[in-house]
Amino acid sequence: MAQPVTDPAAAKSTGMDVSLEHIVKAYGEHVVLDDVSLSVREGEVCAIIGPSGAGKSTLLRCINLLERPDSGTIRVGDTTIDAGQEVGGKQLHGLRRQVGMVFQSFNLFPHLTVLRNIALPQERVLGRSRAEAEDRAMELLQRVGLGDKPAQYPSRCSGGQQQRVAIARALALDPKVMLFDEPTSALDPELGLEVLAVMRELADEGMTMIVVTHEMQFARDVSDHLIVMGHGTVLEEGQPEKIFTDPATDRTRRFLRAVLER
Amino acid sequence: MDYVGPIASGIPMSLLLTVLGFAIGAVGGIPLALMRRSRLRSVRFISRSIIELLRGIPPIVWIFLVYFGIGNGLIKVEPVPAAIVAFGLISCAYLAEIYRGGLSAVHRGQWEAGVALGLSHGDQLARIIGPQVMRYSIPAAATYAIGLLKDTSIAFTIGAQEILFFADSQAKQSSDALTPYLVAAAAYIILTVPCAWFARSVDRRLRVRIAS
Repeated sequence: MAQPVTDPAAAKSTGMDVSLEHIVKAYGEHVVLDDVSLSVREGEVCAIIGPSGAGKSTLLRCINLLERPDSGTIRVGDTTIDAGQEVGGKQLHGLRRQVGMVFQSFNLFPHLTVLRNIALPQERVLGRSRAEAEDRAMELLQRVGLGDKPAQYPSRCSGGQQQRVAIARALALDPKVMLFDEPTSALDPELGLEVLAVMRELADEGMTMIVVTHEMQFARDVSDHLIVMGHGTVLEEGQPEKIFTDPATDRTRRFLRAVLER
Repeated sequence: MDYVGPIASGIPMSLLLTVLGFAIGAVGGIPLALMRRSRLRSVRFISRSIIELLRGIPPIVWIFLVYFGIGNGLIKVEPVPAAIVAFGLISCAYLAEIYRGGLSAVHRGQWEAGVALGLSHGDQLARIIGPQVMRYSIPAAATYAIGLLKDTSIAFTIGAQEILFFADSQAKQSSDALTPYLVAAAAYIILTVPCAWFARSVDRRLRVRIAS
């Protein structure tokens, strides 16, 4: 059920940075995403919560096409992609240029130092000179509180430090939108805090963010827009405070009770 | 009688055959390993067939094929280049399989990070995945190199002047058939043991970094 691609000019005027329309994704019989739509405005922080297996990560991974939806439309900035059709390399590149991603498992490059992890993609993707890229890398390392670590290898850094390097690496490419896929789930609670602090700062600076998370406090305090997913669909969405205090569906209520009252 | 000097003079040739054969395989194994993981069934099949063919034929048969077969019929091939070509071909297959193991050892998240950052496929292979595969491949590749060094002894059958060649001629010149071959055996041990030791230490140092 391919949807007609919306006119890019019309889409731009809505001020939406990211929009997904009617995303469907199935692995064989198993439907992971069942007609999911979502839109995120520029500068907005959107948190996606819900039980495991709800399709949160898959949805996030559809935004930069790490996961290819069966159908639906993905728009980021001025790039629009109809998932039902052949996607050109140029289009794909245009999409990914605007989207930064942070993974649950950090995925730093183990054979490169912290500095090179951040500088190399800039050199290869944006064509920056080595000096320019490393300057920018240092600047970002300082911003995430790791100005003393450039020469370290990732394996010598704590999980929280690795994740902050991963955030710096993504930011170095000047993305329009940052995607976070359970960025603190692999971390000890205390190490998770340092990552959340960096994310809070980013949000305050006006970065557009989409965050899949189990950190309810973060979802409640930092996000402007909350999406609750379950069984491959959006159960409800809206203002975080409203959903946390007065959920509209029974399923949301059960989920919130399970995560908050333990 | 002193056999050590003459037999030791074969060491450079043994090393030359090993190093060049291995180098050909180290380069030629890369496309074969990548083809092995192609999305296209036919490409995977071709690569697999080439690997099985190269590995399935014994080294000495490869040497005879190249030296006597091609060398006689089509073009004139000297023993040393013939041996290098034969060992190079075989090495391509073995190293392709070693790389394939290294490729599957690289975590899937490494590819995903590269994709998400917008790196081209070539950049990902050359800058991100390739170096990690090389590091994972060191122990198996070193074991193979040691095996190859010993296998180069069969190049003596076509007259390449390596360790066994000189040991054999010494044995034929004297009545002593045992000592020259024992000296040859010692020469191989002296070459392979430091090689294994060196590979282990390199592996240990690099592994600290990729074990994340």
